[in-house]
Amino acid sequence: MARYNAGTGQGGTPQAMSTAYKTLVGLTCPSTVRRAWVYDLMAGADGTPADNAMAFIVDRQTTVGTGTAITPRPLDPADGATTIVGTVNLTAEPTVTADTDLLEIAGNQRASFRWVASPGGELVVPATNLNGIGLRAKSPTPSSYTGTMVGSVQFWD
Amino acid sequence: MRRAQGWLCVTNTDGSLDEAATFTCSHCQKIVPCRAAQDPYALGGFCRQCDRLICSRCVGRDCVPFMKAIEAAEQAEYRRRQLERL
Repeated sequence: MARYNAGTGQGGTPQAMSTAYKTLVGLTCPSTVRRAWVYDLMAGADGTPADNAMAFIVDRQTTVGTGTAITPRPLDPADGATTIVGTVNLTAEPTVTADTDLLEIAGNQRASFRWVASPGGELVVPATNLNGIGLRAKSPTPSSYTGTMVGSVQFWD
Repeated sequence: MRRAQGWLCVTNTDGSLDEAATFTCSHCQKIVPCRAAQDPYALGGFCRQCDRLICSRCVGRDCVPFMKAIEAAEQAEYRRRQLERL
């Protein structure tokens, strides 16, 4: 069991926020199917501080979407590379399974959040090709934050 | 809640922290913040079939623990792949 981190800083260009959700980090099951367990989620804004409403959501996805593919980094350098596909800073959203929001948080642009699972409380990425979990953010109406967000997802497989 | 399944922390604009324990819905894995000793029915519900807490979205639905649903989906995917090889 090795632990990995996938974050927006690992590739691509962070995308400007809008009133529609944008995926910051997506984890997807590869064709060589394998499960992953998400145990840590973090997100926050890295733009000019201002008071704007923000919303975060974690939900299940059945396609990869268009973004920068990354190889999640092992937390222990002695571990090998994971086969789980990481995609960050998406420019086109994946297909999101309706009614599967796993975590939904509303907050201020100046605020950030973190969720950590206790053993047994992890979110499971099923061993089904192209199925996955995405961490997404938006700046809901009438908010006007158009800067970027950073996020990070840690998991083990 | 005797044993939380997670911890949620929001850093506020003034630098203060809002912290809450969370549980993960047994049926759909939704993460629900909760307080210590809170009534399970105020959080959503308690499934007497799988003996686990569930979120309000899953109240009144059939008991299908999430891992069972995943195993069923994986089995279906496996069978589909086997058929493709024929």
